[in-house]
Amino acid sequence: MKKPWRGIPWTGETMTTRTSDPMAKPPQPLLDVRGLGITFSGPGSLVPVVRDVSLTVAAGESVGLVGESGCGKTVTGLALMGLLPFRTSRFDGQILLDGENLLELSERQWRKRRGRRIGMIFQEPMTALDPVFTIGAQIGETLRTHFRIGRSEARERAIEALAQVGIPDPATRHDAYPHELSGGMRQRAMIAMTISCEPALLIADEPTTALDVTVQAQIMDVLGELSARSGMAMLFISHDLGLVSQTCSRIVTMYAGEVVESRAADDVLCRPRHPYTSGLLRSLPSFTPRKGRLPSIPGRVPRPAEFPNGCRFEGRCPHAQQQCSARQQLQPLRDGGFARCWRSEELSLPGVLS
Amino acid sequence: MNKQEHPIIQAENVTVRFPVGRRKTLTAVDNVSISVRRGETFGLIGESGSGKSTLGRAIVCLERPTKGTVLHSGQDLHTLPRAAMRRHRQQYQIIFQDPAAALDPRMTILRSVREPLDVEGKSSLAERNARALEMMGKVGLGPAFAGLYPHQLSGGQKQRACIARVLTLQPSLIVCDEAVAALDVSIQAEILNLLADLQQEFGLTYLFITHNIGVVEHISDTVAVMYLGQIIEIAPADRLAEHYLHPYTEALLSAEPVALPTAMRPDRRILLKGELPSPMDPPSGCRFRTRCRHATELCAAQAPGLRELAPGHLTACHHAETFREKTAAYEGVS
Repeated sequence: MKKPWRGIPWTGETMTTRTSDPMAKPPQPLLDVRGLGITFSGPGSLVPVVRDVSLTVAAGESVGLVGESGCGKTVTGLALMGLLPFRTSRFDGQILLDGENLLELSERQWRKRRGRRIGMIFQEPMTALDPVFTIGAQIGETLRTHFRIGRSEARERAIEALAQVGIPDPATRHDAYPHELSGGMRQRAMIAMTISCEPALLIADEPTTALDVTVQAQIMDVLGELSARSGMAMLFISHDLGLVSQTCSRIVTMYAGEVVESRAADDVLCRPRHPYTSGLLRSLPSFTPRKGRLPSIPGRVPRPAEFPNGCRFEGRCPHAQQQCSARQQLQPLRDGGFARCWRSEELSLPGVLS
Repeated sequence: MNKQEHPIIQAENVTVRFPVGRRKTLTAVDNVSISVRRGETFGLIGESGSGKSTLGRAIVCLERPTKGTVLHSGQDLHTLPRAAMRRHRQQYQIIFQDPAAALDPRMTILRSVREPLDVEGKSSLAERNARALEMMGKVGLGPAFAGLYPHQLSGGQKQRACIARVLTLQPSLIVCDEAVAALDVSIQAEILNLLADLQQEFGLTYLFITHNIGVVEHISDTVAVMYLGQIIEIAPADRLAEHYLHPYTEALLSAEPVALPTAMRPDRRILLKGELPSPMDPPSGCRFRTRCRHATELCAAQAPGLRELAPGHLTACHHAETFREKTAAYEGVS
C-alpha cells in the first residue's frame, strides 16, 4: 500500500480515540439538535430537504459535518443560525442551544442571539463582507448591535479581534476595505468579526475551500487555537474528510438530507459503519496505489423531490438488499455512535485501512 | 530528427509578463523550462498566484511568451502564419476548473460539444453530429444528453461534456487546469478514472494543473512545483512524497490534510508564515526565502538555479542537501 502516512511506519499500536475516558459522563451538550426536519414550500409544492437530523455539540468540542454537495449540510447550518426564510420554511423537531429551543424564537428574539450566541463563517469571504464598508466598520456594527458600547470601544475591541486571528498590523487593517486584503486575510477578518462577540458555538461552512492549502493550514490553526483558548464549540461543515478528521473529534455524515453516521472521528476513519461514509473515504486518491483505478460511488445524490422512501442510499450502495427498501432508522451501534443502516453491524466496510 | 523524437512540449526559458498600470509589469512566469514527453502526465502544483495557469495557457498558445519559446513537437507555433498556427494548435486543448462557466447556458450539450468542429468547418453537419455523439459516448454521456442544457446536468456530467468537447478535435495534449477541483471527492474519482481511460485509448498527454497534492501524486509521472512564477522542484511523482528536496515542497506536503486516525497521523506540520509575496515585487535571491525557515544570507544574495540531485529530480535550493536534517532537528526527531 502506498504512503498515506508519508513514510512514518505504523507501529501497529491499537487505535486510541480522541474521546478521552469512556466511563466519564457525557457533558450536557451545548447544542442538541433533535429530529430536525426542514421543508421548503414553493408555489403549490412542499419539498422536504432535511429529515430527522440529530446531532450534539458539547462546549469546546469540534464536530465535523461531511457529505457531498446536495446532502443538506449547508441548509442545516443555516437553520441553526436562523437564516432560512421563516415564511417559506417549515421546521420539525428541536434545536436546543443551552436548553432553549431556537425554533420557537420570534425573529426579534433571534436577533439577540444570532451572531452573539452562534456565529457563522462562510466559504467565500468576499461575498460575505460588504465591499463598501471597511473591515473595522463591519466588525464594529456587529459589536454595537450586541453590546452597549461606544464607537471608540468598538474600535478597540475590533482591533483586538483582528489581532487574535493573526492579522499583522491590525490597527491599519481595521480601516482597510475588503478588496485590499488577500483571500486568507479576508477569511481571517470574517473570523474576527464572528469571534468579536464571543459566541458559544461557531458554525464554519467550508471556511477554507476557496483557499490554498498553506493558507488553509494557517486558518485551521487560528480556529483550533481560538477554540482551545475560549472554549468555543465548532460545527465544521466540509466535504474534505482529511480536513475534518484533523480538526474534529466526532464526524457526522449526511446523505440526501439525513444523518447516516455519527461517531468518533477515529472510529469513522478506521471502520466506517455506513456504506456511504466508506465510499467517500475510499474515493480519496491517497488510499489507492499510484495510477490505480479510484473507487467511486456510482450515480449521484438524488434531488430532494426524488428522495426514495426506503434507504436513500440504496440506489448507489453495493451492499443493498431487499430490506433496504424499508425506511432506515438511525441506530445506536455497539461500539458507540449511530448509523442509519440495518446492516451496519454485519458489514465490514473498508476505511482508511483496507 | 523526426517529429516523434521531440518531446511533445519543450518550454525553454519561458517568461510571461503582463503590463499593469503605468510602466509596471507583473512577471507571472519567470524563465521556466519544462519538457513534457509524449504520453506522460505532467503535474504542476503551486499556490494561486504561482503562475501555473499562465504557464498552462502559454503551452496551448493562449498566451504568447514575452521571452523564450514553447516548442510543440520541436516547432514554435508562434513563428507560423496565423492560419497554420490555428490548424496546429487544435492538437493542444485545455479544460478549466468550472464546467458551468465553460459551457454556454443557451446551447444544448450536443451543440457545445460540436462547436469546435463547427469552427473547424471541414465536415458536413451529419458527420459533425456523429463525431460529437461518439465523443459524448466515450465520456459516458449517452445520446439522451444531446438535447439537454447545462443547467440540467450535474457538475460531474458538465465536466464530462467539456472533456468530450476537447476530444472532438483529436488533440494530442490536454491541459487540465484545476479540472477536478470544484467536484465532490467521489465525482472527482470518476473523472480521474475517465481521464486515465482516455489517455490509454487515445494516447493523450496531460499537463495537469492543480493545488491538490493527493491528486497530482496519484495521476502524474512527473511533478513540477511552482512558486512565484518559477519552478522550484521537478521530480518523478513517486519520489516527491518522500524524497522532496525543497523546503517549499516540504511545507506543501505537510499542509495537505490527510484522512488518518490520530495515532497514524504524522504530527509534524510546518506552518508557513505570511502569504505569497507580490509577483510585482518579488524578493531578491531565492523567492521563497521570506517564508523559509532555513534561509541564510546566501539565499538573499544569490538566486538558486535548478540542480539535478538525482536522476530526473531537480531542485532550486541552496540547502537542498541539508535542510531536511535541520527540519528533523527542529522537531526533535532523529
